[in-house]
Amino acid sequence: MSDGFRLGVFYTIIRPEEKWILAAAEARGLTVERLSDADSTFGLDPPADRPSVVLNRSVSHTRAVYAAWCYDHYGIPTVNAAAVVELAGDKVRTSLRLAERGVPTPRTVVALSEEAALKAIEEIGYPAVLKPSVGSWGRLLAKVDNAEQAVQILEHKSALGSPVHSVFYVQEFVPKPGRDLRALVVGDEVIGAMYRSSTEWRTNAARGGTVESAPVTESLRDLAMRAADAVGGGVLAVDLMESPRGLLVHEVNPTPEFKALTSATGVDVAAKIVDYAVTVGRR
Amino acid sequence: MTQCPECDAAVENPTMIPGEVFPCPDCGTELEVTGKNPFTVELAPQEAEDWGE
Repeated sequence: MSDGFRLGVFYTIIRPEEKWILAAAEARGLTVERLSDADSTFGLDPPADRPSVVLNRSVSHTRAVYAAWCYDHYGIPTVNAAAVVELAGDKVRTSLRLAERGVPTPRTVVALSEEAALKAIEEIGYPAVLKPSVGSWGRLLAKVDNAEQAVQILEHKSALGSPVHSVFYVQEFVPKPGRDLRALVVGDEVIGAMYRSSTEWRTNAARGGTVESAPVTESLRDLAMRAADAVGGGVLAVDLMESPRGLLVHEVNPTPEFKALTSATGVDVAAKIVDYAVTVGRR
Repeated sequence: MTQCPECDAAVENPTMIPGEVFPCPDCGTELEVTGKNPFTVELAPQEAEDWGE
């Protein structure tokens, strides 16, 4: 492509996903600008030489959000949009939005102090799940089976000191069948879905769960698209659980990893994402 | 060819591109490729609390 179109790829580290994105861009003849999140600077005036669109692949939620707002300020479109990254990267705000839009989601109670968190856990009932409001890969999640554990876990969380850990996001423990579901939304399409299974209750692929392709049924497609639309749309991994009361959306991830989904489904996810970013950049 | 900043082992991986992370074959420390020609590495960034998807 020689029309001056440039794809910026904003990244923290180059994982297989970013390598595949770079390869897909190269295969399409795109000019790519690699933008390291650790090296980038952002002034108040738009840079003279700027990419046509920026694909935000930073694994740091903080960096991803601030960079996206800076690009937004410069008039450079990003995938995903700044507001989407900000909202979907925060579990509390995502839950609120899903509830507002009537998307089925686990019962959730938020508390802002250790004392209130204990009340929130009692309100949810045992077992409950405590999650950090920001961050993923199943880190620092805790399943709380009784009041004694609740007191101990809350004490440990408070000892971590960070303000993030003083926001207590408490969710019902959903008795799922040893697996959950992930559907990947790119624009107005669910490009694939997979089951993530594990012998432990956390099924994140990053925690060593196994994956297999899942059929994109009408109900899965509908729910995944509603969840993605609820947070503003774009490239989003929608995580769902099969509960006794039907599918529940428990997370919408704005900077999805897709190595596992690519291997499970055979879908060229990187190519779909690059094509979508080009579409956004040319709007 | 360069040295692991942690254990001084010789490391080189011509197929990797800057930004990629790999474990030192000797000590296992995570290294980040910072240059291709010549091949250079630094200690990889540590996973932070807000890292994720």
